[in-house]
Amino acid sequence: MRLLASLALQNLGRRRARSFLLIAAVAIGSGVVFTGATLMRSIDDSMAVGFTRLGADMMVAPEGALTNITAALLTVEPTDLVLDADVLAKARLASIARAAPQKIVRVEHSGIGSHHELVDLIGIDPARDFTIQPWLREKLNRELRAGDVILGVGRDAPLGSQLLIFGKSHVVYGKLGRTGVGTHERGIFMSFATLDALAASMPQRPAVLAPGKVSGFLVELAPGATALQARFAILSAVRGVKVVTGESSLSGIRQGLAALLKGILALMMLMFASMAVMVSVLFSAIVTERRGELGMLKAIGARRSQIVGMMVVEAVIATGVGGVLGVTLGILVMRFYERSLVYYLENIGVPFVWLDLPRTVAFAAAAIGLAAAIGALGAFYPAWRASRRDAYDLVRGEG
Amino acid sequence: MLACRQVSKSYRTERGLVTAVAGIDLDVPAGRFTAIIGRSGSGKSTLMAMIGGLSRPSAGSVTVDGTDIWGLSDNALAAFRNEKVGYVFQFASLLPTLRLIDNVALPAMLGRGQGASGTYARAAGLLERLGLGAYLDAYPAEISAGEQRRVAIARALINDPSILLADEPTSDLDEQTEIEIMDVLRAVNREVGTTLVLVTHNLALAGQAQQIVHIANGALVA
Ligand SMILES: Nc1ncnc2c1ncn2[C@@H]1O[C@H](COP(=O)(O)OP(=O)(O)O)[C@@H](O)[C@H]1O
Ligand SMILES: [Mg+2]
Repeated sequence: MRLLASLALQNLGRRRARSFLLIAAVAIGSGVVFTGATLMRSIDDSMAVGFTRLGADMMVAPEGALTNITAALLTVEPTDLVLDADVLAKARLASIARAAPQKIVRVEHSGIGSHHELVDLIGIDPARDFTIQPWLREKLNRELRAGDVILGVGRDAPLGSQLLIFGKSHVVYGKLGRTGVGTHERGIFMSFATLDALAASMPQRPAVLAPGKVSGFLVELAPGATALQARFAILSAVRGVKVVTGESSLSGIRQGLAALLKGILALMMLMFASMAVMVSVLFSAIVTERRGELGMLKAIGARRSQIVGMMVVEAVIATGVGGVLGVTLGILVMRFYERSLVYYLENIGVPFVWLDLPRTVAFAAAAIGLAAAIGALGAFYPAWRASRRDAYDLVRGEG
Repeated sequence: MLACRQVSKSYRTERGLVTAVAGIDLDVPAGRFTAIIGRSGSGKSTLMAMIGGLSRPSAGSVTVDGTDIWGLSDNALAAFRNEKVGYVFQFASLLPTLRLIDNVALPAMLGRGQGASGTYARAAGLLERLGLGAYLDAYPAEISAGEQRRVAIARALINDPSILLADEPTSDLDEQTEIEIMDVLRAVNREVGTTLVLVTHNLALAGQAQQIVHIANGALVA
């Protein structure tokens, strides 16, 4: 009802200072909760780093290869050690669903980036790859072909533009989204054929660019197979390899952080609980203060639902506005501290990736919804109790 | 037709049980002008509140047009207050944040199924009849106490009630304003045939009523 809604609004306007304080308190509470939840999920997601995020369960690399799993680089370090491209296929392992071969070459003086920059050129088999192409954020409207390259998010060049590698012209076919995985961010991806064609231009021909050789495989487990089973099967069937699983990588840090995050979660719950108590205390007082008016409304025929509805609408407007403000503030704060936060996390070995947009929006909606719900609940009980009283008692200032 | 049967009201207080109304029988035929008189604290307001559906009796019944109003559900009782009764309080009772026209229209807007435009036209017409046509958009604080009481009467009339209950509507007003307000109430009673129950301690006013009910200590005085 329009008149009751405008009454609710005007009541908020009648006590500017109090409404402002209520809105501010709810804004702080829901801002903290929204920011905390978003950061928490972002960090937790970011901790699940490496090829697990890329969609693989494990990686098979030459035994002697350095697999750097402490820092952001969670792929095989480029080495001269190589595997035969068909080792896994020949072994016919039931626990493996898919295996994507990769050739990784780290080069200098390639003409990309600054003069001495080490650049990872990564060869993939487009038909078998399942960890790179799903991350394509934008691409040309055609198949990947010889001479095409895909850029990690850390490299900037327009789609379809020319890119010289060792003096040879390539076309920027696509760009990857942000994954937080080091090699992905700075890497340049291409088909095996494109990479092989570059071998002649390199100072010395890397061993992995020989036909039939690869740097390693990213492996997806068959449904129902465990990492332990697969690891055992691979190691007993194939000589000279090592198996790296993603989970082990940062589990120590992750556990510590998980405990911390649980603590933050508990704090957030307390925050919401105290907000709920505060709102209901405040609205008990507001209802008491306004009982004469409520009694008058009741006397002229307002139904109980209309009286309760008016008070609830008033509370929901205040706490809902508080929630919107809080989320807005939270976004501003996160934007403001983004740089130092990302820097700090990457320093302790956690490549940071913001939560994706749909989930961030869901969190924002949840924070605002919770704030509004707290308003509704806080106002409902005192309003419901008052609405039960006789109109005459309310008008006389009792109840 | 309005009928009270052994209607009583007691309040639990710190000093024990206070009986404000103690078993009153009262019949008011439709369309009649009835005055209730009695000393302050005799139970007049409490009786009016029980008749108007504002205060639940501790015992006894109030029947309006054959309906025992205190046997109704919450919503049906709200509808009764909304449609059947116009209540004019002893004190200022307008909602301060609403314009006069909104205050008058409010009871109709609270009820079911009335178009807003028709309601507002009616509200404006009532305010005009009561000499407040120039103040439709004003707020209660911008007009005098007597004018506010007239707006309260307009509000009480917006839903064409069958009973108009006025509890000392002029006690805090000057004599000239009192006469004006009483003229309005009596005109409604006479012209529309609305039952009028008026609480007053002005015996001259009471003398104009068709029926006088005298209350002392919560009971009728013969
Ligand atoms: N809510 C209440 N609690 C306690 N006593 C009340 C209450 N309402 C009225 N009374 C008492 O009931 C008696 C009648 O009051 P009231 O009906 O207002 O009288 P009147 O309108 O004739 O002046 C008074 O003694 C008054 O103090
Ligand atoms: Mg009285």
